[in-house]
Amino acid sequence: MNTAQQTARVGLFFLLGLALTWVTWETLSDGKLFKQTGYSLVAGFDNLKELKQGDEVRMAGVKIGSVERTRLAGRRAEAVLRIDPGVKIASDATATIVMAGLIGTNYIGLDLGTPGAPVLTDGAELRTKITPDINAIMTELGNLGQKLEGALGSITTTVNGDGKNPGLFQKLDRLVTDNSTKIDTTMTNLASATEKINKGEGTLGKLLNDSKLHDELVATVSEIKGAATDAKSFVADAQTLVNQVKSGKGTLGALIFDETAGNDLKVVTRNLRDISDKIAKGEGTLGKLLTDDSLYLSAQSTLKKADSAIDSLGDSGPITAVGAAAKVLF
Amino acid sequence: MKQFTHFLEGFGSAVQLLFQSARFVGTLPRQRARFIDQCYLIGYTTLPIVAILCFFMGSVLALQSGYSMENFGAKQFIGSLVGLSFARELGPVIVAILVAGRVGSAITAELASMKVYQEVDALVTMNIPPARILVLPRLAAVLVMMPVLAIIGNLIGWFGGAVVCKYVESIAIEPEAYFSALRRYMKFKDVGTGLMKAEIFGFVVVLICCSIGLNTRGGPREIGASVTKAVVVSLISILVLDYFVTKALM
Amino acid sequence: MNPPIHRNPITAVESPAVGVTIDGLTKNFGTFQALKNVSFTVEPGEIFVLMGPSGSGKSVLLKHIVGLEAATAGRVLINGQDATAEHTLERIRIALVFQAGALFNSLSVYDNLALYPREHRFGDEATIRDKVMRALQILSLENSAQKFPSELSGGMRKRVAIARALVMEPQLMLYDEPTSELDPVMSATISEIIATLKDEYHVTTIVVSHDRELALGIADRVGILMGGELVFLGPPASLRQPADPRIADFFHPRIDLKNPRFKTLET
Repeated sequence: MNTAQQTARVGLFFLLGLALTWVTWETLSDGKLFKQTGYSLVAGFDNLKELKQGDEVRMAGVKIGSVERTRLAGRRAEAVLRIDPGVKIASDATATIVMAGLIGTNYIGLDLGTPGAPVLTDGAELRTKITPDINAIMTELGNLGQKLEGALGSITTTVNGDGKNPGLFQKLDRLVTDNSTKIDTTMTNLASATEKINKGEGTLGKLLNDSKLHDELVATVSEIKGAATDAKSFVADAQTLVNQVKSGKGTLGALIFDETAGNDLKVVTRNLRDISDKIAKGEGTLGKLLTDDSLYLSAQSTLKKADSAIDSLGDSGPITAVGAAAKVLF
Repeated sequence: MKQFTHFLEGFGSAVQLLFQSARFVGTLPRQRARFIDQCYLIGYTTLPIVAILCFFMGSVLALQSGYSMENFGAKQFIGSLVGLSFARELGPVIVAILVAGRVGSAITAELASMKVYQEVDALVTMNIPPARILVLPRLAAVLVMMPVLAIIGNLIGWFGGAVVCKYVESIAIEPEAYFSALRRYMKFKDVGTGLMKAEIFGFVVVLICCSIGLNTRGGPREIGASVTKAVVVSLISILVLDYFVTKALM
Repeated sequence: MNPPIHRNPITAVESPAVGVTIDGLTKNFGTFQALKNVSFTVEPGEIFVLMGPSGSGKSVLLKHIVGLEAATAGRVLINGQDATAEHTLERIRIALVFQAGALFNSLSVYDNLALYPREHRFGDEATIRDKVMRALQILSLENSAQKFPSELSGGMRKRVAIARALVMEPQLMLYDEPTSELDPVMSATISEIIATLKDEYHVTTIVVSHDRELALGIADRVGILMGGELVFLGPPASLRQPADPRIADFFHPRIDLKNPRFKTLET
């Protein structure tokens, strides 16, 4: 081989090296080496969380593009998405940031939208929905636990008393006990009077034998009876409520003992155990639980969020979201 | 103790040789033909073996990481693992080891035989310093060729990993996902670090091999001994240097 | 006295020939004394033949002259300059014809010769080509220019080595065993070449050899080294009937078959 040939080969070889280095550099630096295809959409969020440039955009789980870049725009964070050409996105498709794994890989998930809706064009803005991430869910669950604790404490105090002041049961009990003789006497008297009256004995009897008066009297007695029954059933209700909470039925019980939450909501359970303890000690007023419907509402909204968070974790890897929660927690 | 003295002597003569060669950098343009010749030997002819080894190294790396990462469901990160470890570590080291084995040994053999058959002495009496025409073109050539070999080795290694990921059933990751994972956690700095490492290793290997070759004494039997010594010292130097260079470049 | 004029064999440019002074030269390799306080002077333009049996230190002495070895004691002066000093080789062109030729095996004969003028920028490629071809002609090697050293016979290699030395336009020529391994005809040719170079161009020449014919034929003066010591220094004529028994033994070795050394041969 002659020298010129050798020189040419070395030169080409060196150029090849330069070219490959340049290609690698371009590819790893900004990915702008290859001409951009497709069109771009903007998705605004309050918080992009772990989303990075180069993350995938999937519609119904199918990759249709990637995050071209992320930027701050005023009071929100924007992700500019590069969508593959030929993919049509309905204008009412909603974008969410989805966790694909637990070690920081996210992607943007789009739902299909409704058929027949107009198609988004280059530069258009996507509708977005905030999905709480696992941290937010945990914080909310913690807050809920504290609220429950306070409210249930109040119930207990009202029902059982707090040691100094007698509670509802004690008061009723004492009322009945203290006056039992009087009530007995009254009842006996009433019975004999009634008997006499029925027989039509004495002036009073006659006077009272007037059916109208009799009717009124009967009504009064039944009202007294009704009041007593009401008091009883209220006490029973309160007890049932406490029992239900303990045994895991009803809305609150369901929240706490929901099987989908399983062991991973142990913290909440523990909180509730604390709550029971505190219920035993007794604090607060009954009225709080009964009038404070914000508690119920916030419980409900938390559950909704938890639901949707768990939905959005549907695509996660082998480690389940619950497992993740457990890892975050313990 | 004696070993240590030998080590110091060897180290000293290599450094001395480096400075002697550096003095003649100005003569490089005149030595263009020799430089091209060495580029051809060091770069071009080493490419096939670099390509083959890097391909299989990338493949086996992907295979092994696929096997072990499956246990905790991180298979989608094989691309990142293969990419990073190849660019930062394996690529430069493999290329340097190949250069030591293929080019370094040849350099030592050639210079040692020139020394043993008095060609080096002849050069000295002709007032042509061996550092100028024997060492300098080789050092310059390895500086130019090493990054080229390393980047090609890198890309071929990555490609080898991709092939395994696609065609091995237990892994079954599409090249697109593999390269997307590879790109996700890699910056050009990682590749650049690797190229710089390759550059340093290659330079040191050629310097060591030249120095040991030129310091050969005795008869033809010593040529073989020198070659063995050069390769061993080169390999040790690569791996020891690797630690320190990696630490310095981090 | 003015030194004889040295005329370059290739370019015929004239310059003063150089003289060599060996002054108390001693060289130890570990405990082995290769040279023991050797002193002599080679005059400009003369042919000095250094003789001695194998291992007597002749080649080591040559290496001192070109600065390949550093003396343990004493010094070598070339035109008054220390041979080991780096700049000596830059100022004075010394050509050493190695015993084995020391040709560059990776270069063709032509490139072997052209290396020195190219590296020292004697001129453009055409000038260099002229010089190289003339040197090849002097040694009758024109037809071997494109051959590689491995394709040459021993005698041709030696001639190439001499040609390579000539191209250097040397002021001092050193030959290490120029006629060893050569047939008598080629030996005579080499002797002739050495004498011609000296006669026509006044190149100071030092020849290391144990070839008695060569020494007696071309030498202006002869030195004999034995065991690292200079045992004789004088004109070749006085070697015809050497007084020193050691020298006589060297020139006319008698093989005594009764000598215990040959016992093994008999049995």
